[in-house]
Amino acid sequence: MKRLQLQRWSSSVLSPRARTGGRLQQHLYYNLRRQSTVTPAAQAENEQLIDQQSSLLTTQTPGSPYSLPSPPVEAARESAKLAALHARLYLPTRLPLETLARCLVDSSADPNAKFNNESLSILGHDLLSHYTSEHLICTYPRLPLTVIFAAMYAYVGPKTLAAMTREWGVELAAVPGGEVDPGLLQFKRVVPGTDVNEEPAVATERPNEHRTSWRKSMTSRVVYDNEFGDPTEVKNIKGVPAEHASARFIRAVMGAIYLHAGRPAAKRFFEQHFLSRHLNISELFNFSQPARDLARLCARENFEPPVAKIISETGRKSRHPVFVVGIFSGQDKLGEGAGASLLEARSRAAVAALKGWYLYSPLNVRVPSAMEEEGAAPWKPVHVDLGEVIV
Amino acid sequence: MATYFTSIKRPLPSLPFLSPSSCEPIAWGARRHQSSYRRTKQRLRVKPDASFGTSSTNTYDHIIHNPPSSAPSVFQTPTKFLPVDDVRRTLRGSSTHVSTAEFSPVFETSGEKRYHLNASDVEEIRRLRLSDPMTWSRWKLAKRFDCSPMFIAMVCEASPQKKEIQKQVLEAVQSRWGAKRRMAREDRQLRKESWGRDP
Amino acid sequence: MPVQGIRTVTAARNGVGAFILQCKRLDFHYCDWAGSSRGMVSFLKNSLASFAKANPQIEIRVSPRPHKHPVIKGHYINGREKAVCVRNLEPEQIVQKANLLKEASGEKNKRTKKPVTSINDSVRGIWSPFHGDTKTV
Repeated sequence: MKRLQLQRWSSSVLSPRARTGGRLQQHLYYNLRRQSTVTPAAQAENEQLIDQQSSLLTTQTPGSPYSLPSPPVEAARESAKLAALHARLYLPTRLPLETLARCLVDSSADPNAKFNNESLSILGHDLLSHYTSEHLICTYPRLPLTVIFAAMYAYVGPKTLAAMTREWGVELAAVPGGEVDPGLLQFKRVVPGTDVNEEPAVATERPNEHRTSWRKSMTSRVVYDNEFGDPTEVKNIKGVPAEHASARFIRAVMGAIYLHAGRPAAKRFFEQHFLSRHLNISELFNFSQPARDLARLCARENFEPPVAKIISETGRKSRHPVFVVGIFSGQDKLGEGAGASLLEARSRAAVAALKGWYLYSPLNVRVPSAMEEEGAAPWKPVHVDLGEVIV
Repeated sequence: MATYFTSIKRPLPSLPFLSPSSCEPIAWGARRHQSSYRRTKQRLRVKPDASFGTSSTNTYDHIIHNPPSSAPSVFQTPTKFLPVDDVRRTLRGSSTHVSTAEFSPVFETSGEKRYHLNASDVEEIRRLRLSDPMTWSRWKLAKRFDCSPMFIAMVCEASPQKKEIQKQVLEAVQSRWGAKRRMAREDRQLRKESWGRDP
Repeated sequence: MPVQGIRTVTAARNGVGAFILQCKRLDFHYCDWAGSSRGMVSFLKNSLASFAKANPQIEIRVSPRPHKHPVIKGHYINGREKAVCVRNLEPEQIVQKANLLKEASGEKNKRTKKPVTSINDSVRGIWSPFHGDTKTV
């Protein structure tokens, strides 16, 4: 429920000349509503107050928190939510509450780069992609590029980061503002009625970007697109979805830990919060023609051509037959699969064989960033694979 | 079925829970509460297989390998796929070799490539396909030249008119399908796509 | 394209790697006048500070609720809340109740039938009638 603050009413009456900000600032603040504790459901009731409020906003004194787009720095020490969040994540004591409060302010809430989390989130984003990609590439050196993109998305994609924000117990502020509790995630929400399924405006630095019919190869995505294989989205000024704001908050926390507590603490935080999450990499594959791919693979690696053989079967003439087919290359079994038809079983066996190839993992995996520690053992080159099967 | 039972490696009498009279000397008819908790537990008390435990002859350390009765995991790389410098290659040794002779192949034809067609044959195929596409379909050409229809498709392409005709024929056939058949076909296609996806 | 990646989201495993206390807020309500709040008032005066110091992860709010029994309300990360009425309880019993709320996961109480629940794959895989050593065709 919106509480009307009598002082503000009276001050607007008493000192009509105390206006702050020029036309630009008025324009910026026009759509902002100042309330920390409203739920989104209560926003509808607020709508009618906007007009009255917007006239109010221009009449505030510079010292009041209502004139600020995000909470003042000294408010961080007084917020119970913020201190609880700091303790809940076991953040290092060297990371001050003020920085954590800054991580919670999105650039859509406060455009001033000195008070929002944009710089921290860029740093954290780079760290997260670096640590995740080196982990994936060193642990599974043969993964195809598409699967690496999917695994990166699963570990540090915006959906995962938004889920982590929820699991950390971070609440979202309905509307950003100076009087809001600094323990709430503050961002400007998307205006109701916006089509969320609309294709976002994207931009890459590809030459010949305007030729839409040209094929965009998978390898070019490494160079021109982001770490999930998607073109980078153009910044939307009108407001951000909660998912993006949450993702930027988590990245900013990562960046802040790196800056304040150093590299080992950041690495530990990454291992504890990101790598410890459960992901079954073998479920990320989607083959269209597995048998053909396997034949190409065997030809490339100079193995005998794969032959599908029936290992066991039951009920061939019944309504529910089951065939277990193994794929053999010479004397070695590459994979096996069960299915209701011979073709299905062979296809599944080929999928199993291909996954057996792609999911090879060397023993005693070390990542390059392990060399940054003090007194690290000399670096031994990791296994580098020829690359995925090209058909 | 007979061959099935004889090939069981563990002989039947060694499974005491299958033979009820081993611990209960009473006749079948006199038994009233056959399935009591005590009796069930008693019969499930199976002696461990001989491969477990230390026998008196094997005094040295050894590893008991009891492979699980489940499909192999994809995270276990086949020995052939291990790189040359991987130690697991030597550790596993030749134990993973299986005799493949007893398994029957899925397809009757062997996958051996014969490369028996030369350039003039390919020219002939192209000429026939262009001259009379209705008669010389992929299937017929494959039969005549003793190769696979796939090879014909790799060598030459049907003319656009033929493709258009074929499309119309397909549409005519599909227009007569009812809801059930159409749905069944679509489901079949979806199932087929899931072959390459499921774990 | 030979193989495509399927996009998913990793699943959280609280306690594997990092542990996050599920109780995020405790509300203490008391009444200055009523006798049922006597223990609660004593708890708030004497032992709340040490409780809060021992549990910095929890945001603590204290507010009067006149003419009502004293209540402790726990708010959890999964969005649920759990309330315990502490009328006529001694301060030591209230500490126990607060600890109970602190340690709760916020889920509804449910019977645990298996000693271990896990999302990891079984080490020996899912049993299949076509594998293992007791049968060859």
